[in-house]
Amino acid sequence: MKIQIVNLKKHFGATRAVDDVSFSFSSGQVVGFVGPNGAGKTTTMRILATLDEPTAGDALIDGVSVVEEPERARHLVGYVPDSLPTHRDMSVHEYLDFFARAYGLKGLHRAKVIESVEEFTGLTGLRDKMLVALSKGMKQRVSLARALLHDPAVLVMDEPAAGLDPRARIELRELLRVLSSQGKAILISSHILTELAEICHAAVIIERGCVLMAGAIGDLVGNGARRGVVLIRVREGRERLYRELLETPRIEKVNFVGEEIAAEIDGDEEACCDLLTGLVGRGYRVVEFKLQRANLEEIFMNVTKGAVQ
Amino acid sequence: MTAESVLKEKISLSDRINPIVVKELRQAVQSRFVIAALLTLLLVQLVAIGIYILASGASLFGFDAGRQSFLMLFGILQVVAIIFVPLYTGARLAAERSDINVDLLFITTIKPRSVIAGKMFAAIMLTAMIYSACMPFMAFTYFLRGIDLPSIFISLGIGFAVVVACAQGAVFVALIPVNRAFKIIFGLITLAIFGLIYFGTMAGVSGVVTRGVIGRDFWQAMIAMCVVICFLVGLFFVMSVALIMPVASNRALPVRLFITAAWLLAGVAAVAGGRIENDHWPVIVWLLMFEIVLALAIFAAVSERDQPGRRVLRSIPRSLLGRAWAFFFFSGAASGLAWTSVMVVLTLGAAVTCVELFPTRANTNDLIDSAKWMGGMCLYLFCYAVTGALLRRHLFSRVGTELTWLIAAILLAVGSLAPFLVGYIAFFNDQWWSEDLGAWWVGNPFAWANKGHRVLYASVGGVWAMLVAAMNLPWFFERCEGFKASRVAASDAIESVPRAVASGSPSATD
Repeated sequence: MKIQIVNLKKHFGATRAVDDVSFSFSSGQVVGFVGPNGAGKTTTMRILATLDEPTAGDALIDGVSVVEEPERARHLVGYVPDSLPTHRDMSVHEYLDFFARAYGLKGLHRAKVIESVEEFTGLTGLRDKMLVALSKGMKQRVSLARALLHDPAVLVMDEPAAGLDPRARIELRELLRVLSSQGKAILISSHILTELAEICHAAVIIERGCVLMAGAIGDLVGNGARRGVVLIRVREGRERLYRELLETPRIEKVNFVGEEIAAEIDGDEEACCDLLTGLVGRGYRVVEFKLQRANLEEIFMNVTKGAVQ
Repeated sequence: MTAESVLKEKISLSDRINPIVVKELRQAVQSRFVIAALLTLLLVQLVAIGIYILASGASLFGFDAGRQSFLMLFGILQVVAIIFVPLYTGARLAAERSDINVDLLFITTIKPRSVIAGKMFAAIMLTAMIYSACMPFMAFTYFLRGIDLPSIFISLGIGFAVVVACAQGAVFVALIPVNRAFKIIFGLITLAIFGLIYFGTMAGVSGVVTRGVIGRDFWQAMIAMCVVICFLVGLFFVMSVALIMPVASNRALPVRLFITAAWLLAGVAAVAGGRIENDHWPVIVWLLMFEIVLALAIFAAVSERDQPGRRVLRSIPRSLLGRAWAFFFFSGAASGLAWTSVMVVLTLGAAVTCVELFPTRANTNDLIDSAKWMGGMCLYLFCYAVTGALLRRHLFSRVGTELTWLIAAILLAVGSLAPFLVGYIAFFNDQWWSEDLGAWWVGNPFAWANKGHRVLYASVGGVWAMLVAAMNLPWFFERCEGFKASRVAASDAIESVPRAVASGSPSATD
């Protein structure tokens, strides 16, 4: 199954919340949707979830247009919004039961689905608790459980980790891994980029409604690593190495970091190999040599300007 | 019967209930607000009947104590029901459909029709709960004498039907896609209308309990009222469903089909009723009801999307005849204008035909007068709406088509008042109130009741209508030409396939 976002635009008056956004991903992939506040992430996700209509463009889920056939698309998408369920006077089980009915689940099948979703999201012990009495993390679980009731092929999750404590975040990450291994396509936005990098296969970086960068995490990180940092530890001759590195071509900056020397290198992995070969050739006994790749956070900071509309 | 089969039967019964009803009633019975409102109503009824009995003294043994106490209790019940039920239903729905946060219920696979039906059924259940809780008080008034049981039950039936109609109206208003400020304005206007309906209901029920439920006039009024209430509930229902249908779908179809079918059925019934009564009053009621609805439909029509989407185009029949029929019933501003115009003309034509065929029936002059009045009103509203659409296309092209009604409404307000205000400032003397100033209301569609200046109104309206119609003709023909069946699927329409963000066979990242 393929999910295609095609030339998507959403304008609110003069504000172009989403401006010609295009990307695609497939079943089993977890795609991080990254951008500063007001970048257009939520708007794109709401359109994908059929909550909003785009000004132009379309999103196709397995060829089904969310604009033209939202009724069919809704069978395929599960949406976890950034706002949590606010239904008063309802228990967790009643809330899930209502949505299960609304998705057309009937009889014993409905009861079984709710039970399994409650078990999967760890809500079994909370089923009779009122929604208003739940913590943020628990509400997030309820939200995820609701989105999973109709077993959608695509999960769209808007800031699911926001406000969660570390334990809840780790548990959420595990749930997403399981869902991904089940073949679900997951589009997830988050501000916690280190976590996204750990769980996502790909990422889309968006700012002011435009896609700045999109691709597999490895590719993105690779592109961002043209100016990587090499950490070097040698048995002896640290000061000499420091001086020599300063004179080495393509080495732009050298620092002592504890017992190691951090050298900023302007080049790819080939340049690192050359450097290591040179060091060994000059008689240095290298204990540790490590290329520090730029992480998603650094790439994000490099490509975005933090501009909002 | 085994325990398993009992459980299966119970689940099967529960599955047949609309999920919205289950949710709404679950929330209502657990809501402190609902419980507090119900208990307060019962307390007020108890206190009111207690005070009435204590204050009545010897007059309690007269022959109208039951009637008076019933009217008092009914007034309390109705004021609570007519405000509480529509407000509770409408406000909750408005919150669920807020422009900033649409409830996730609307992205489930539940059908729009089921959503509205569920909301309405829950409102009916809530109304029934309030009425049944007050029933002992109402029944008690029978023992005070001066009122019979049929009057009590028919009055309660009238009140119940009115509350249901108001709840359906509130559901529609809650779904109108406008921002919060407009929603509040519309809500207040609706509340004011409910106030008028309340006084109307009280007057009607007062007549019922005073004169009793006998006589031809009573049943005629009851039939007319039932027809109007059924039509309004049905109309608001289909319009509410249309408002939550996807924008790309053919939203106009159910509404236009409903109005056309109701127009036809009610028209036949009105003509038949006129024949039985030898009176034109049923046709007058029919004419007024549908011309008002169609006049409002003109404003709705110009606010529809200018070009039908791919989904609508795909469902257009291929045959020429099928296309011609479909044009009148499918979504689109041009289609909407064509349909409303034809319906207005047909309604007026039917009224004129009735006058020609049955000139000796009672109320013939009233029918002619009503036709002129309604025809003139529709003519002016057509002019304002089409002028608004013209302005939006050429001057305010950044304003969305869905706001054309607002431009037309502003024009209507300006056009209705400006000539009179200009005359007042520039020409009127100190004795202006004693003069015939009807001519200065020339732009006001509601001034057609003024018979003395209809020729002027018609001349101005006629020239204006021809001008704006001529200016809109190129646009209209373009839309007619573009109304053709298309077989292009969404995925085929995409010109460039976006690049995948990750390639290869994905698997979970460890």
